[in-house]
Amino acid sequence: MPPRIHNQRVTNTLLPYLSSTSTTASSPSISRLPSTSTAPNGSSRPFSTTPAPQSRKWRTDMFQWLAKEGSELKSHVPGRTNYLTRLKERRARGEEGANSKAALTHPFPLNPYFSAENILSEELRNEIHARVTGRNKKSVRAVSVELGVDMRRVAAVVRLVELEKRMKSQNKQLALPYARAVHEMVPTTPLHKENRRAHESINDLPVHKLTNAQIFHPIPESRHFTRADAGRVFSAAPAQDLATAAATAADPTAAVDRATQQPGRIERVGKGEFETQVLQPAEARIPHPHLVALERYRLAHSEEPRESNKYYRTRLLEQERLEGEQRAQAAAREEQSTNKVAPAASRFEFRFRDVEFSEETVGHDGRGSIAPGRRYGVPSEDRKKGQVKIPTSVVV
Amino acid sequence: MRNRATTTLTNPKIRQSWSKYNLFNLTRMRTPQTSFRTHFQQKFKAKSIARAYHGEQVRESQWQRMFSSRIRSVIPMDPYNLAKDDGAGAAAGRGSGLGNKISRAELSVQQAKQYIPFSQMTFAPLERRLDVAVFRALFASSTRQARQFVIHGAVTVNGQKMRYPGYLLNPGDLFQVDPERVMFATGAPKNKSERREGRALRKKKSEGEEATEAEAKEEDSAAAEESKEPAEAEAKDQPKEDPRKVLKGLMAQAKGIMSTGQDVLPAKRKQELRGFQKAVRRVLSRSASSTVLTDNLESQFAELTQLLKAKRAEKKKGDRKEGKEARSPKSEASDAQKQPGAPQGAAAADEAQPGEALTEAFRQAAENPEQEPDTSELSDEEFDVLKRAMVQMRDNPIDHSKPYGTPWQPRDFMSAFAFVPRYLEVNHSICAAVYLRHPVARPGASEVPSPFGEVVGTGAFAWYLRRR
Repeated sequence: MPPRIHNQRVTNTLLPYLSSTSTTASSPSISRLPSTSTAPNGSSRPFSTTPAPQSRKWRTDMFQWLAKEGSELKSHVPGRTNYLTRLKERRARGEEGANSKAALTHPFPLNPYFSAENILSEELRNEIHARVTGRNKKSVRAVSVELGVDMRRVAAVVRLVELEKRMKSQNKQLALPYARAVHEMVPTTPLHKENRRAHESINDLPVHKLTNAQIFHPIPESRHFTRADAGRVFSAAPAQDLATAAATAADPTAAVDRATQQPGRIERVGKGEFETQVLQPAEARIPHPHLVALERYRLAHSEEPRESNKYYRTRLLEQERLEGEQRAQAAAREEQSTNKVAPAASRFEFRFRDVEFSEETVGHDGRGSIAPGRRYGVPSEDRKKGQVKIPTSVVV
Repeated sequence: MRNRATTTLTNPKIRQSWSKYNLFNLTRMRTPQTSFRTHFQQKFKAKSIARAYHGEQVRESQWQRMFSSRIRSVIPMDPYNLAKDDGAGAAAGRGSGLGNKISRAELSVQQAKQYIPFSQMTFAPLERRLDVAVFRALFASSTRQARQFVIHGAVTVNGQKMRYPGYLLNPGDLFQVDPERVMFATGAPKNKSERREGRALRKKKSEGEEATEAEAKEEDSAAAEESKEPAEAEAKDQPKEDPRKVLKGLMAQAKGIMSTGQDVLPAKRKQELRGFQKAVRRVLSRSASSTVLTDNLESQFAELTQLLKAKRAEKKKGDRKEGKEARSPKSEASDAQKQPGAPQGAAAADEAQPGEALTEAFRQAAENPEQEPDTSELSDEEFDVLKRAMVQMRDNPIDHSKPYGTPWQPRDFMSAFAFVPRYLEVNHSICAAVYLRHPVARPGASEVPSPFGEVVGTGAFAWYLRRR
């Protein structure tokens, strides 16, 4: 069936003569006859009898919105975010809403849980790089605490600034106007010399898989049940004997140090492949356990702020020394266990490492996932569904 | 792969794109209806809406294999609380803590703050993909474009070319996109006349007259030298120029540059820009320190405003007295700044003279402020205009051989989508970023950028939990 003719839609210029109920009483002038683009009801197809599709209505609406309300989003305002939420908040709550925190930080009006967070300003970025690589070098850990930036971010900033310097020295083209525009659009954390404000929270405790379970664990009311005990319950380890518990309570910092400095010595529970470390309390699993030690010291010696600063610095130095030692030891061990063979006529160096052939290391069939030659004699599975065939890592 | 990432207006879907169609669809989006719908219908709707945005370039079976019901989350810890309390208080009494005297209303407020939006993390595994990360770092205007950049070999991971958009970034991976491509992706497109100029340029090149190129190069370098040398010469010739007049002229030029839209002929814009460049050079060459021209923009700008005695206009309530007070310490400061510059050497000595002349002129102006009260006071807007004109002059030149409109400007509606999630650390000037860690949820916030609310997130999570 052909589409019905809607009276309003038909805008033939002869229509006033044909229909008795002519809406446009004005006489048809010569100029109106050929002009198809300026039809009286705004339609661009005055001779068509088909109703305009819905999409055209939306299109018209869109361009109207872009010209009026949306024009505010067209170009950015330096120093302020320019998100859609702002428009919505203004419509709902007026100017107060437009300047609310939500309007300035939420890019998506329907998702209150995602907010645009500050990025490092250029000065702060350069400051981080200067502190880590400058004349009096500081450790990543120390700089992270000083400026309130995550340790991984500090390391990344150093890498990126080094790369930037290299590119500048090679006279490679940089995207400077683009970078400036982005820093004008996105909230940034400025560098405050005197009152330092944290860029992000640096002591994030990752939620451990074992703690997702709700466990009903009855204990006597008289028992002093600490975080460490809760960790043992979560990992199904037997309760600590009284002597160890008393020693831990007497010097909690030492217990945390044992766990963080010698992670291989942490008590293990379970059998075979289910063997895991006992879940450690939060103060041992956060990125900066030394801050907890500092706070403990401060609580114990509240009258001596200088002493606590000294304590903090010596502890930090000690920790760095220990970490450096451990790294050196690991490298030496690796060096000792590999047998390097460099044939005279070859440009390669072959490195052999001894393998301990036991069920723990290579599995019951000798083809454990970490065993050398695990794929020997096994057909390739790369035609199977779900096998990853693209690279999974890029080694620097 | 066929591009199904269309942003239609009928049957709208939200995409990972900065298109204006997408923006309009975003304004129209409502939370999907749940009343009078079966649970299955709710979940299906939620997953289909969410998948149009999250990884529409990924096959459904591929995504189902990536989906993980285990969601990463973190709790920010306060070292003071950890030190003060070993956690025994929480288990005391009958297991819910002793001395817990919080009222119900307070408790609910606290719980709302501590609420971790796990269901908003459903699509977190997709954020590991290289194409998505390139889009999230603001290096491309859509994930499709980011994907194209990867496939066309413009993206490196840890310094090696990576041609797989599905490469899953590992924490610590550094990826970098060709800056030229990024400028193209995020810049405003060329207009008609710029395209024509570009065509003319290409035609000229293809005619293969190397001699003309060499000539052009010579001309350019000559022009650059010319603009430096005569500027200095001029500065020496006419050292007693009124700073206000200079400033006025400069402002007019800057405004001209910033206000002329894309409709003005590019040749004329180029001329204007060159004129402004010359003027700024002329002013800066009076400065005592010779490093200003090569130094960073901020110091250049500070020097310029200081030389011209320009300052931000305060609110009009301040009367003349206040104005005097505000001016006099400034002139002292400028004197103080001049003094350490003076013993620098003979090179600085000859150029210090115009600077002193300027201060002298300024002092006179401060003593009898009736003559021209407000000429050197700039409003914030004017300051901004002057600054931006200088930026443009230095590192945003007109170049018709580029595939984007020059001088570079951000494309329309970019700011509505501009944010950088926390799991990336981005250096925009070299177009490189580091994938720090996997996105996590924390109390009150999720790190996965998603335009959808709880209803959609939860529904989609429930849909994929079934592992069909």
